[in-house]
Amino acid sequence: MTRRRSPYPYWFVLPAAVVFTVLFLVPTLASLWFSLTRWDLFTASFIGLDNYRQFFKEPFLVQGLVNTVIYAALTSVSKSVLGLLLAVLLTSGILWQSFLRAVIFFPVLVSTIGVGITFTALMHPTRGAINIGLAAIGIHGPAWLSNPELALYSVAFIDLWKGIGLATLIYIAGLAAISPDYYEAARIDGATRVQQFWRVTVPLVRPATVTVVTLSLIGGLRSFDIIWATTRGGPGFASDVLASVIYKQYQAGFYGLATAGNVILFALIALIILPLTWWFNKREIDL
Amino acid sequence: MSVSQSSVVLKNLTKSFGAVDVIKGVDLEIAPGEFCVFVGPSGCGKSTLLRLISGLEEATSGTIEIAGRDVTHAEPSERGIAMVFQSYALYPHLTVRENIGFGLSLAKRPKAEIAARVEAAAAVLQLGPYLDRKPKALSGGQRQRVAIGRAMVRDPNVFLLDEPLSNLDAALRAQMRIELTDLHKKLGATMIYVTHDQVEAMTMADKIVVLNAGQIEQVGSPMELYNAPVSPFVAGFIGSPKMNLVPNVMGCATYGIRPEHLDLSTSAGQWQGTIRHVERLGAEVILYLQTEAMGELVLRLPGQSAPPPGSIAYATPQPGRAFQF
Ligand SMILES: Nc1ncnc2c1ncn2[C@@H]1O[C@H](COP(=O)(O)OP(=O)(O)O)[C@@H](O)[C@H]1O
Ligand SMILES: [Mg+2]
Repeated sequence: MTRRRSPYPYWFVLPAAVVFTVLFLVPTLASLWFSLTRWDLFTASFIGLDNYRQFFKEPFLVQGLVNTVIYAALTSVSKSVLGLLLAVLLTSGILWQSFLRAVIFFPVLVSTIGVGITFTALMHPTRGAINIGLAAIGIHGPAWLSNPELALYSVAFIDLWKGIGLATLIYIAGLAAISPDYYEAARIDGATRVQQFWRVTVPLVRPATVTVVTLSLIGGLRSFDIIWATTRGGPGFASDVLASVIYKQYQAGFYGLATAGNVILFALIALIILPLTWWFNKREIDL
Repeated sequence: MSVSQSSVVLKNLTKSFGAVDVIKGVDLEIAPGEFCVFVGPSGCGKSTLLRLISGLEEATSGTIEIAGRDVTHAEPSERGIAMVFQSYALYPHLTVRENIGFGLSLAKRPKAEIAARVEAAAAVLQLGPYLDRKPKALSGGQRQRVAIGRAMVRDPNVFLLDEPLSNLDAALRAQMRIELTDLHKKLGATMIYVTHDQVEAMTMADKIVVLNAGQIEQVGSPMELYNAPVSPFVAGFIGSPKMNLVPNVMGCATYGIRPEHLDLSTSAGQWQGTIRHVERLGAEVILYLQTEAMGELVLRLPGQSAPPPGSIAYATPQPGRAFQF
């Protein structure tokens, strides 16, 4: 077998290579170096893996790491599952279909900080609309954002609310790509609605699932702005994730520690996304 | 209640999409074991009629009986039919084995029974070696056979096939025509086959139903339609090259004569004209003659010799072969 030659000369990759080197490779390698030092803006002294050792010794930093994984898993699973269900609903020819699609997509367009501020108000333990509504039906609502047991999950919910529109949109496009013949063949074979969903829709919408899961996982692992706009990682460190921890360390002047956190976040993303992508692609070939 | 001997009976069947009437009152009986072909130009309602029989579309009015049972309002899966789609509709994530057994596994049949029935269908269709492949790894003809296999394991009263060969190249299509005819003989099941290709209709059908704009134009055996078309539409649709149809001559609304029923002479004959174009196909010649009296006539002549384009020639109809509509 001979490899087909690219129709473009090699120097065509030069602009992309320069951009990649300057914007990605240099900062990544630099932060790898700085994570091994104690540094400020003018000096850096090499201290080996001390920053990493310290990172994993601090319980709240480890909790940030654990929270990051929980948060990313929660938001990405819920966006995929609910996004698919909403997309199925919104392509089933129900009344007000286009209006509802617009409603669901709307939060995607709103600024994250705006969403954070709004939900901080809505989730206020006594004056928030959510708990006032719950009180009206006799339920005493919890302190959504200031209860340490709950804060991380409340923020994850806000993230879901904001991000579900994009997931739904991707799924709607994915569903549109499935030929109606598959459903008609299944109907003739006697498939119920539920069987059609599990045996036709779920397997055939896979490319959309791959996109939604990958995007929302990366987004969830790096998530910062919604958390910062609502809880700032609190109460205590209850809803801290890696990104907010890093930001706090940086603010406090622990530059080396912050850079080490950054490298850990980068490694975490690579560690989760790369095998996942490999696994998705491996199965893609079968399709 | 009348018990019908027929496999499929349609009574005054209509279908409208909104204000558009697509099927405008169809009455038809199909005998058990018959190979019935719906043929007609694109958009005449063939697929819609087939989909009404399958239950994928709901009839606007009229009734559908299958095997003596009124199924007008029955679910597709309860009509005793199986359908082969033009796109084959094979599930890309399932193997050939899983595709063929799909319906049985939906019905939660025992594993052993599914395996046995899939193997049996695969044996008939010579798909044995491919059972563990995905559809992507099959040729067009093999995919076609998998789609038929999926229909076969349902053990239907009636097979419904919507243009099943139209995605295949010409050579494979000719081969699959023969395979399908053989399969029909072997299974003895009723088959309803939709095509816009009159060659498929002529070569495979026991009974041809010619559809035109949502109505039946004529029903009959291939030779009946060839020898005694009831209208210029049928006359023009059946046979290739198509029948010469000339309006308002010889004292009738439409005069028809098939290209193979015109004789050519360079000295004398009924209609004089100039040869405009000659197509040599080896075994026969298709000749286009521009005449004064009849406009352009197409002639189909055996052999390889023909006068050159531009020369004068005469066409004469063979006695008793002309149609007057
Ligand atoms: N679901 C539908 N809605 C509206 N019009 C339809 C629908 N299905 C078919 N038609 C119309 O009905 C006519 C017949 O279609 P079809 O049965 O697919 O024709 P054929 O199979 O003979 O080419 C066409 O004019 C088509 O546009
Ligand atoms: Mg059609």
